[in-house]
This record gives sequence, C-alpha cells and structure tokens, in this order.
Amino acid sequence: MLTKLSALAVVAGHEVRARLRDGTAVLIAFVAPVLLATLFGVALGGDDEQALDTTIGIVDNDGGEVPASVQREAMDSEQLRDMIGFERFPDVDAAQQAVDDGAAGAAIVFEEGFSESVSAGEGGEVSVLESAEAPYAGVVARSLVDQVSSLVASRTLAVDVSLAAGVPPERVTEFVEENGADGPALRLSDATVAGAQVGMTVHYGAGMAVMFAFFVAGTSARALLTDRQLGTLDRIRAGPVPAWTPLAGKAVVGFGLALVSMCTTWVSSELIFGVSWGDPVAVLLLLVAHVFAATMLVLLVASRARTDAQVDGFVLGLAFVLALLGGSIVPVYDLPDFLQTAALVTPNGWVSEGIGQLAAAGTGVSDVTTPLLVLVGIGVAAGIPAFLRFSKGRFA
Amino acid sequence: MTFALTCENLVKRYDGTAVVDHVGFHIDSGEAYGLLGPNGAGKTTTISMLVGLLRPDGGSVQVNGIEMGSDPVEAKRLIGYVPQEIALYPELTARENLRYFGRLYGLGRRRLAARITEVLDAVGLSERGDDKVQTYSGGMKRRANIGVALLHEPELLILDEPTVGVDPQSRVAILDSIERLVGEGVSLLYTSHYMEEVERVCTRVGIIDKGRVVADGTRRELVAELGGTDKVDLVLDGDVHAAAEKLRAVEGVTEAAVTGQNSLRLLAVGGRHLLPALLGAVDGLAQVTGVDVIEPDLEAAFLHLTGSTLRD
Repeated sequence: MLTKLSALAVVAGHEVRARLRDGTAVLIAFVAPVLLATLFGVALGGDDEQALDTTIGIVDNDGGEVPASVQREAMDSEQLRDMIGFERFPDVDAAQQAVDDGAAGAAIVFEEGFSESVSAGEGGEVSVLESAEAPYAGVVARSLVDQVSSLVASRTLAVDVSLAAGVPPERVTEFVEENGADGPALRLSDATVAGAQVGMTVHYGAGMAVMFAFFVAGTSARALLTDRQLGTLDRIRAGPVPAWTPLAGKAVVGFGLALVSMCTTWVSSELIFGVSWGDPVAVLLLLVAHVFAATMLVLLVASRARTDAQVDGFVLGLAFVLALLGGSIVPVYDLPDFLQTAALVTPNGWVSEGIGQLAAAGTGVSDVTTPLLVLVGIGVAAGIPAFLRFSKGRFA
Repeated sequence: MTFALTCENLVKRYDGTAVVDHVGFHIDSGEAYGLLGPNGAGKTTTISMLVGLLRPDGGSVQVNGIEMGSDPVEAKRLIGYVPQEIALYPELTARENLRYFGRLYGLGRRRLAARITEVLDAVGLSERGDDKVQTYSGGMKRRANIGVALLHEPELLILDEPTVGVDPQSRVAILDSIERLVGEGVSLLYTSHYMEEVERVCTRVGIIDKGRVVADGTRRELVAELGGTDKVDLVLDGDVHAAAEKLRAVEGVTEAAVTGQNSLRLLAVGGRHLLPALLGAVDGLAQVTGVDVIEPDLEAAFLHLTGSTLRD
C-alpha cells in the first residue's frame, strides 16, 4: 500500500512541479480566482445586504384576511424585512402602471372573494405583475405567491377530506381550523424565499468559481493526454505501479488546484467585499464535494478524447452546459420549470442550492447534507467508469 | 525450469479480428531473443501485452515465474522496457527524466543518484546529462530513452525497435551497449526492422507474421530450413510485377518478391544453376541489368517463411 501511495505521490509531485514551472498553478489557483472575485464584487456592488431593495405592490380586490396576512407575515420575516416593502394599489391598472414606471418591482393581485373561497376550501386565484427591469422583485413576488398557493392547496385538501368524512358543510371551516389547517389568517413558513436567498455577488461569485473549477480540473485531463502523446504515459504504466496511478496522480493535482482556486475566490470575496457565503465548514465541505464531482466528470468526458484540442473542447462544452443548466450563469429560480428540474442533475445546481441555503440562513453542515451527498454521488458515478476505462488501457 | 520470459497462447483481438493469434515463446535466463516481423505482424501488440500495457484476450505471460495477469506490479519490476517512440519529457534534462522514472521504480535517493551517474555513462550522455532532452540529437534521445529502462537494473530488457531513425554512429553505440548488457547476463527481447542487428545481438529468433509465430530457433536452425535455397536478387528494366509472376512459375523458385521499383528478390533451390531458366523466364517482359546470388541468411529464411521481405 505504501509503495502504491509512494508511486501516486511521485506522479502527483511531478505534475505539481510541471505546473509550477510553466506558471499555470499560480495563475489558475490564485491570480484568476482573485480577479474573478474582484470583477464580480465590483460589478455587482459587493455588499450583499443591499443587493435587493424593492417595493412589492398589493392589489387587494379581496379585502379579506389572506392578503393582509401575507403582507404581515412577509414583514415579520427576518429574511425579507430589509429587502422589500409593500405598497397598496387600488386596482390592477394602477399597479401595472407602477410596475412599468419602476415605482414597484412587482405586484401581487388578489381577486375578489379570495379569502372566502380559501376558507371554504374552494381554492383561489392570485396573479403577479412583473417587469423585466426588476427580475429579482418578480422572483420574490412569485415565490410569495407560491407559498400562498401551497397553503391554499393544503387548506382545500383538508376541507375536501373533512366533507368526505361526513363533517357538515356549515361546520367544516371551524372543523379544519380546529384541527390545524391554516385559516384565512395564513402563516408563511420560514422556508427560504427564492431570489431573496442569496445576494448577487455571492451567487455569481460562487457560480463562476463552480464553472471555473471544471476548467482547472480539465488541465489534469490535458496533462494526461500530453503524457500519452509523449509516450511517457505508457512508460509509467509499464513500470511497477498500479494501473490507476497515472490517472489518480493527475486527478489529485487537478482536484487540489481546483479546490485552492475555489477557496481563493471564496476568501477573496469575503475579505475584499465583506460578503458571507455562510458557515465556513459547510462551505468548505460543499466546495470539496463539488471539486470532487467536477474532477471526476472532467476525467470521464476527457477519457473519450483523443487529442488536446478535443479535451479542451469537451471540457469547455461540459463546463458551459452545466453552468447554464445549473444556474451558474442564470439563477435557477429564473429558469423555466423544466430547466429548474434539469439543474438537479448538475453539480452546479446543487452547489447553488447549498450556497443559497448557507448564505441566506446562516445554517451549518446539516442543512447541506443533501447537496453534499448528491455531489459525492455524481463524483463516484463519473469516476468509476473513468478509472475502469483507464485500467483496461482504453483511456484516450 | 524458470524462464526469464514465457508467453503462452497470447491472443489479442480488435473488432473480432485476431491481431495476435496464439503467440507463444520463451526466453532463457541471460538469452538474447529477437522477434522479427514485417509492419503489422503483431510485434508491438505482443510486446504491449508482455510489458503489461495491454490486457490479453487469451493466454498468459510470466516474467521470471511471476504471472503478469495476477501480479503485474511485481512482474513489471523485473522488466526494463524501451518503447519504439522516444518516451521522455523534452522540457526536462536527461538527469531529471531518469530521476523521475527511477523514483517510480522505487529507487532510494542514494542508489538512484549512483545509478543515474552509471546509466548516463553507459549510454554516453555524461557530459550532456544536465541539458534538456529537447536540445538532443535523435541518436542522443534514443540513448537516453534506453537509459531510463536500465536504471533499476532489470532482469529482462525489452527493446522495441530501439534504433529507428538514428545515425550509424549512434546505432553502433547503442548495439555496443546492448551487447555489453547481454554479456553481463541481462535477458533480452529485441525487435527490429534491421536483420543485421538481430543477427548481431540475438542468439535465438522468432519470426512473427500475421499475428502468429511461424518459426522459432537459432539463426543456423532457421537458415537450415531453407535446404539448398539461395537468395537471388535481380535488377530489371521493365514490368517487375509481371516478371515476378512469371518467375514464380519457374521450377525451383519458392518465393519471388518485388523489393523496389525495378528489383526482385527470389528464393530458389540451387539458385546459381537456375540462372539461365530465370533469365529466360523474364525474356520479353523485362531486361535484366543486374544479378546477385547470395548464400542463405536470416533474411532469406524470413522471406521463405513469410513470403515477404522484412521492410514490406
């Protein structure tokens, strides 16, 4: 075992020296990440606490308890209190005018009889007016409506079940409220509201770092192909080392550099712009898990390549497709529903989810268990075929 | 008895076609064995399986009694492999290349330093050891390429076309080094396009063609298979392919191969006495401008066994 690890260390050490010699290690691990963090910090304003500050219009054609509850609960929310304010408008036209003029970022419209309808378990209709000029306000408004919708749905279900169980219609409202279903005075849960969960500096800083990790890990695959072209890969494999040694040696270096690169972006954005990505231990674990997944995915994709140019093309394609699908470029909550689902098969999507949780709620490792497990799972699922392919001598 | 190398029934298929088809031979301890075959005969694929780079579809390889299939790390430790292409890092010096590969073979710091000095001396690169490989001539690169395989003092040295593309002076130096190693008791497997190199270095030869070993023996044994066959080289002015076809029909001619734009090589029983018949056969097709009758040699044996010349 010691011999195997020693061979791994020799290959990895050689790779590190090569990267230091040609300067790429310093460039990709330190210079580029600091530039990345600085660029996004400066471009997006740095301090996250002021990243979202908008007015949500309310058109209350209902006049009942639900609209008032939504507004009250939102203003009681620690997460939303400093980011949004509410303004009432007499009708849809006035609200639309305010949204168009930029006086309001978005508006929520409650139709007449909404509270009564909800109370009777018959559902209700709420709509959102948005502006392309204030996408985040729209996201927050939609997210509030989504939460109201889920409460309405559960209320409707409770009423239907009670009626089916023989509760007289005139007692059903009282019955479901006695038994725990939210009444007209709806209570919003503490769940994170999309769009308000993470400031733009953190979102884009993390997103770009996540994407950049693929490029850094990709240099490992490129180095492996360079060795193949030089004939030195076969020379290593003909030596007394396990078949996986060359791949693992390169992967370890790629993993290490990508991790340093991501950590540099993280630390830079915290130190230079004072933004927080959340609990440091949880963030670090999330970054380690992502870099593992990214390294294995890159090796798997690159194992199909035959030339340096193909490796570059494959890695570029992989990084951009996953970044687009996973919300590194456009936030997940701003994507169509089917793309939001697609984000769940990308490491980027899970890192975005995890960082969002950590940055918004300031919680710890327990809150990112699922993203961590999924990321490790992606890494294992991609790594096994890559290593098997290499062990069988079919790599590249 | 334990052989330095034993391979039995080695098979490698690509897309259902066997490129190595039940190849088997052995190398005694301290023996120099040559593997001869034209391009595409399966030499490099066979060697790739012998050194553990390719997994055989069938058969087995043993190095000093250690199974390559079940204990590849220990089996590889006994082999020094010189690949056909230069396999060095050009931006590193010869000394740095040797240090890296020596570490992979688990050589300790002190022994490694001593061996690097010895190897650089053995391959004649002592004075250029600290220069980058990319500044070397082709011959120097070849010598450094061989040097890497000698670092750990292997029991079996496998050289795949080690003199391709080198100048005559470097070739002599390389062959001298190899002969010296064989003299010191290192077992050798040697492949080359150059028949004279194999005849000089190797005591036993295997001839591989279309993925099969078609003959195996000492030079004397292989040549003896020819009986009274002579090698006859003809230089013609005319249609050499039509002439070759005609000559194959002459009684006593066993092979007729086109070796150049206007040259043919024949194997003919009692070739010297057949000359009138040979000249008569091509009359009207081509004009004979040169004739050379050569005593049987390894190349003639190769032609006899494979129906082609080594450089076909």
